[in-house]
Amino acid sequence: MSKPTDTSPWKAMIALPENVWHSIFRNPLPSSDLGRASTSFTNFFLHLHPVKVHRNSLRATFTFGLGLISFFLFFILVVTGILLMFYYVPSTSQAYDRMLDLRGTVAFGIFLRNMHRWSAHGMVAAVFLHMCRVFLTGSYKPPREFNWVLGVLLLLVTLFMSFTGYLLPWDQLAFWAITVGTSIASYAPLVGKQVKFLLLGDATVGQEALLRFYVLHVAVLPAVLSMLVAIHFWRIRKDGGLSRPAEEDEPTAGVELVTAPAVVMATSPAAAAAAKPVLQRRQYGIQGLVRGPFTKIGNTPDRSVFSWPNLFMAELVVFLITVAGVLLVSLYFNAPLEEPVNIMHPPNPAKAPWYFLGLQEQVSYSAFWGGVGIPTIEVVLLLLVPYLDRKIAGVGRWFARERLLANSLFLTFVVINVILIVIGTFFRGPNWEFVSPW
Amino acid sequence: MKPAVTPEIEANGEVTRRKVLSWLSGFGLFGSLIITAFSNFIFIKPRATYGQPNRFSIGKPEDFPSGARLSLDARRVCIVRDGDKMAAISTTCTHLGCIVSVSETGFACPCHGSRYDQDGNVTGGPAPRALPWYQVSLAPNGDIEVDKDTEIEPGSYLRV
Repeated sequence: MSKPTDTSPWKAMIALPENVWHSIFRNPLPSSDLGRASTSFTNFFLHLHPVKVHRNSLRATFTFGLGLISFFLFFILVVTGILLMFYYVPSTSQAYDRMLDLRGTVAFGIFLRNMHRWSAHGMVAAVFLHMCRVFLTGSYKPPREFNWVLGVLLLLVTLFMSFTGYLLPWDQLAFWAITVGTSIASYAPLVGKQVKFLLLGDATVGQEALLRFYVLHVAVLPAVLSMLVAIHFWRIRKDGGLSRPAEEDEPTAGVELVTAPAVVMATSPAAAAAAKPVLQRRQYGIQGLVRGPFTKIGNTPDRSVFSWPNLFMAELVVFLITVAGVLLVSLYFNAPLEEPVNIMHPPNPAKAPWYFLGLQEQVSYSAFWGGVGIPTIEVVLLLLVPYLDRKIAGVGRWFARERLLANSLFLTFVVINVILIVIGTFFRGPNWEFVSPW
Repeated sequence: MKPAVTPEIEANGEVTRRKVLSWLSGFGLFGSLIITAFSNFIFIKPRATYGQPNRFSIGKPEDFPSGARLSLDARRVCIVRDGDKMAAISTTCTHLGCIVSVSETGFACPCHGSRYDQDGNVTGGPAPRALPWYQVSLAPNGDIEVDKDTEIEPGSYLRV
């Protein structure tokens, strides 16, 4: 760096690139722990991470990177989605032709559409598997209850994103899947009919519905999803990082019952008895407040490592694997496009994308219970999971013994839904009659 | 100088001017939030729709020979004529909104296998209700007019 005393114009010109660089990146590549720490918190993108991260959080077999994969797929979806917006027109007379143009005339058009479609499918799968990981490792337990709730909301928004995107190509599948989907919504008690009318902007699926779904898909839902993702990430930090098993030499993870000072001061003994004991998780020194969640109490060994480079390299690897996967799939498989909408002739059978086929299978038994009743009960139960299961045991380990009942119940829920999806995908033919795929 | 005493402690449960004002401003802010959300709902609920009208003419009675069961798929109604009696039965499946096709025994839905008889009563599949009948009337110019906003008792015909 040039000395501030040296003000000759020629020297300033020579030092210009270096000065600009150092004004953006304040740290050289770090060679000390202090450098590693400041690299993490002086960079806008890196400062979302803690300076140090527990070794357990970096174990690939603990998280399988599923949360990150979901996020990176969302990132790919935003980038490819914005690019596709340059050519797409949300009009019933033009939308399908634009799909054909993507195939025929737009450079990389078909490839971008493939990437967008397969990333969307991948994101639904990754978000769901991420939820399974969090459940099966007991990671929704206090203090992470609310982040689980945010996660369930993120799953719902992801599904709604996918549902709204489904109409946009304006092909046969799009039209009939949305006709069926919005009819399911109309079975909801009291508000069902209004919800359907608000979604479609008309009595049936048409131009208004296409425009509304487009606005939801490219503006409203991405904004909601981004906001929820931001809070979700922020909460991970504030809840003390990823869950991990309690360590034996840790003083039971710093949990102890103390009574709040106000109770001690209370004048009447009855008031003191009535006051609830307060759960205090950690005691922070000034250092702890400065350095993030890994405050050491007593002389326990430090099991955390610096985020630079350990965490960032791991994240980069997950990102590269995700991008490579999407590129590879998009090279070899084309996103399906059916015939243009023909409102006279529904295809037989009219099938939704695979992740909605479990729902469609349920709906074929009873529209209200399959489409509204059971899904509502499932979502409410999922949202309440951390508030129903209050036992703090088996946190941070896969399939912990102490959680046999909870894990069995959850796996039953997963298996039933997978079976329904398999039946809907492979065993249903014309008129939704049972067929054998062989 | 005496340290400032917070009015809440000083008031000791009394209703002070500060409390009333905070309560009122809180009420105002929260109220405007609700009004804003509500206005947005009013805004996105269309007052006029651009799709097909629900009341339309289908031509002269002579266009439909006796015994005809003609499905107008774009209008989503099936026009039935039996002698001098005419009726319009919805062809939108009551299950999930697919278009039912006219079959020998009545109507059949291609989406989830619902079946209906000639009068639209459910005979099989997941459909929860019979197909509704719509009001049919004779316009002054002699055209048959169907009004999909008015459902009528199944089995009631217009004499032409």
